[in-house]
Amino acid sequence: MSSARESLPGTPRPAAPRPESPQRPLPVVEFHDVSKVFNPGTPGAFTALEHLTFSIEDFPGRGEFIGIVGPSGCGKSTFLNLLAGFKEVSPPTSGEILVRGRPIQGPGIDRGMVFQKYSSFPHLTVRQNVRFGLEINRKRSGLSDAVIESEARQWIEKVGLSGHEDKYPHQLSGGQQQRVAIARCLALKPRILLMDEPFSALDEPTRLDMQKLLVELWVEIEATVFLVTHSITEAVYLGDRVWIFTRSPGRIGKEFRDIPVSPRGVPALEFQKSGAFQDAVQRVAAEFRAVDQTMGASTAKAR
Amino acid sequence: MSDPKEAAKQAWGSKLIIRGRITRWGKVLLGIVPIVLIIGGWALLTTGVAEERVISPLILPSPWEVVTSFPSLWFQAELSRSIVASAWRVVLGFGAALILAFPLGIAMGAFSRVRALFEPLAVFGSYLPIPTLVPLTMSLFGIGELQKVMFLGLAFFIYLLPAFVKAVDEVDDVYLQTAYTLGVTQWQAVWHVLLAIARPGLVHSMRMGFGIGWTYIILAEMVAADRGLGQIIIIAQRRGPREHIYLVLLVIVAIAFLVDRLWIYLSKSLFPYRGVK
Repeated sequence: MSSARESLPGTPRPAAPRPESPQRPLPVVEFHDVSKVFNPGTPGAFTALEHLTFSIEDFPGRGEFIGIVGPSGCGKSTFLNLLAGFKEVSPPTSGEILVRGRPIQGPGIDRGMVFQKYSSFPHLTVRQNVRFGLEINRKRSGLSDAVIESEARQWIEKVGLSGHEDKYPHQLSGGQQQRVAIARCLALKPRILLMDEPFSALDEPTRLDMQKLLVELWVEIEATVFLVTHSITEAVYLGDRVWIFTRSPGRIGKEFRDIPVSPRGVPALEFQKSGAFQDAVQRVAAEFRAVDQTMGASTAKAR
Repeated sequence: MSDPKEAAKQAWGSKLIIRGRITRWGKVLLGIVPIVLIIGGWALLTTGVAEERVISPLILPSPWEVVTSFPSLWFQAELSRSIVASAWRVVLGFGAALILAFPLGIAMGAFSRVRALFEPLAVFGSYLPIPTLVPLTMSLFGIGELQKVMFLGLAFFIYLLPAFVKAVDEVDDVYLQTAYTLGVTQWQAVWHVLLAIARPGLVHSMRMGFGIGWTYIILAEMVAADRGLGQIIIIAQRRGPREHIYLVLLVIVAIAFLVDRLWIYLSKSLFPYRGVK
């Protein structure tokens, strides 16, 4: 059953090899004038994204963390899904999406994704869930069972789920389920991590724990992260940059590149009380309101 | 908690409350009431000497007469052999339906094109009155054993196919999308995601289908069955004793209930992770 050797449409390809050229390395992600219109040419046509152009450089040894906020229905999720290559939104109506210089052809293990919905496979234990991706890619990676097992154990430990290996998802809390999803995704060492409101369904203390976990892991995995959230505080806390998307049609209405970075060793809550952080949140929030009101929507949320 | 007086008070003492609480005992007590009323009314209508009854014993024998006719059902009508014969037909029909409905249902649930191909037929089938399949299968397969199995198989198939499709449908897209980002191919997605996650739903469909299909056994055995629960009813209707009709109905319900318990047990031991939903 699992011996489909031919490359089917939508079949993920192995991650593009890192270009070794001594010159400027290729950007990790490039969007060239990307637009996405749903149901084009019908009365129900809806422009989710319009003329989206940007380029994220590959910094050696560390990826960038981009926090994305915006009013609901602004195409944030469409953006992530396009980058993931899901068939529900792919290909874009116009424009080009490149990952390390190559156009994307469907989902792939170089782009991991964590969803807001709990996505742990319900019939597998925590260990089996984390092993899933490693086992599926076994032919390609040539990993032995012992290596897979130790990788899985390490990731379970890193996300703080040691002792829960043999539990099924229904026995876990929401936060623990998201930890499983993160471990399962990071075990494949994706170069790009897409997160679609991963902590939105969690209660506040759990949310803070998860943010802390993500910061710790991010340092280690050095991936480029795109995190969509409805929490400005979260975007500012986690992001190197913050993007504000405009309401339909979605565009990057404003980019903040001067976001204060959490210093090592300072607890999240303490850092979030600092003036620099509060100031950044205020600036983003003010801009959020401005973008929301000026960029066309008659239904803009009035505060 | 288990004080009967308290339970009675619970059951009758207060007003009707929408989705009100009810204790276990209160529930049992209330559930027994209509049964007692029905059997009481039945006994009342069939009391006295045969000639003076409100309803003739030829139409409705008394509860006592029904119960005491069990030995004749067991020995003369050979109930146990009939149960085996009927159960065997149902199992064969169920198996035949499964062989076709399972792969087709999975394929329809997984691939939109396969679904588009067969959906109109499935809709037609779901509105088809099952009893019309009796003459249909008779003209196709004669009146022998094959017709009975085929009739049951068709009835099962018509129920199972859309139920299987729905079970696959209910697997959330988020699992598929997650699996794709983890590197699965299409076929791996069908096997490791759709089929794997839909398993409890598929077994649930089989359970419901089996329960419904089992009750069609009477239709299957209406004509030219040399043995079976349906055949006992037909004989009892023509030649009596009437008591057997009522007893066989009880037997069919009892078997359906017990088999359903078995399915639940099977489901629980196969899918321990479904503990909390």
